[in-house]
Amino acid sequence: MDKSTNHPYDELLAAYSAGSLPLSQALCISAHLEHCSSCGQKLQQLNHVGSELMQQLKPSKVSDELKTKLLGMLDSLSEDLPDEKSHKIDARVPRCLHQFVDTNYDDLNWKRISADIQSVELCRDSNGAKVELLKIKPGGSATTHTHMGDEYTVILEGSFSDESGLYGQGDFLVKDENDQHTPVATQDRECICLAVTEGPIQFTGFLHRLLNPFIRRGYA
Amino acid sequence: MPLMANTTAKSDKLARLSACIVRVAENQDKAAFAELFDHYAPLIRSYSLAREPGADLVADDLVQEVLTRVWLKAAKYNATLANLNTWIFTLARNCRIDYLRRNSRYATEIDPTDIFNEIEDEGPGPFQMVQQSRVQQSIRAGLEQLPKEQSEILTKVYLEGKSHQQTSEELKLPLGTVKSRVRLALKKLEVLVPR
Ligand SMILES: [Zn+2]
Repeated sequence: MDKSTNHPYDELLAAYSAGSLPLSQALCISAHLEHCSSCGQKLQQLNHVGSELMQQLKPSKVSDELKTKLLGMLDSLSEDLPDEKSHKIDARVPRCLHQFVDTNYDDLNWKRISADIQSVELCRDSNGAKVELLKIKPGGSATTHTHMGDEYTVILEGSFSDESGLYGQGDFLVKDENDQHTPVATQDRECICLAVTEGPIQFTGFLHRLLNPFIRRGYA
Repeated sequence: MPLMANTTAKSDKLARLSACIVRVAENQDKAAFAELFDHYAPLIRSYSLAREPGADLVADDLVQEVLTRVWLKAAKYNATLANLNTWIFTLARNCRIDYLRRNSRYATEIDPTDIFNEIEDEGPGPFQMVQQSRVQQSIRAGLEQLPKEQSEILTKVYLEGKSHQQTSEELKLPLGTVKSRVRLALKKLEVLVPR
């Protein structure tokens, strides 16, 4: 039974299957797939589409030297040993995030951004998108905000609700620049999300509106 | 060639190649590997050239990288999760993503290995496609009947590796149209219908 009820759009899953999705978005899809077998099944079929398209390509001539060279190398090939690090990582951390986490979420360099929220930036994508983890305390509220581009969120731990509903572990959400939402974590536990933001966030709370020109300048 | 004969020839070929990967996995059989090379190397080369026309060295590198992985990972290949063509496609896709990341123009700190590796090693979880070959055949038949405007977009996304945004710029179509054509095409292929 699937735990998640919010899934990536089909064309996003197709772009993931095709390998044409920015890696920051692919991270979100991958984190979702760990919790969602129905998207996993779709993905297998989408991979078949790629496979069939590849089979329909007009074959391009390969030089004999390349074949000879590769056949000559076979005996000396050896596989890279699996990364030892992975064994020390908390099983709750999705595999796609192992590259950013040494043991568990707690030892990351969390920064307090409001009374209710802490965040840690994991990296930037080549398109400038910011990849971060957000931690909302139990019952805590994330400031209403809008953003310039799309924002992708996957819930890794806990749950939150906003104007459109309740979201739990594995849920995948996309908000565009016209959506204003106020996620509130449920009371029982803190909520940890993977968030990818394509453009600078514009806070729309009263105080933030005053601060906004300065905040935005930080991205210039 | 009539459609039926064509389909039969294709599945015979795939059965022969699938036997080869088993021989590579079990006996490190180089003759079997050479047969896999002869079939897949030209396709992998074309796949690379679809993204970067004229980049022959890049294409040769991709062939070498993918077939190296085929040799090393043959024992991990699981026919119940993906047929051989699909496994090779995912390997080629992953190698191409890796190459693009290392290419400075697309530099990012994000390592794609753990994002896509799961699929190539183990398949995306415990669910297995019982009627896999039937699914694949209906996708194949569906692709042949797709309107050109839809197949053109799938080619951009899957073979040329273009994002929806790039596709929309190149075809001078609104972004929404690109996305809806992808969706329509996938619906026609019955990829999105729960089975
Ligand atoms: Zn899903």
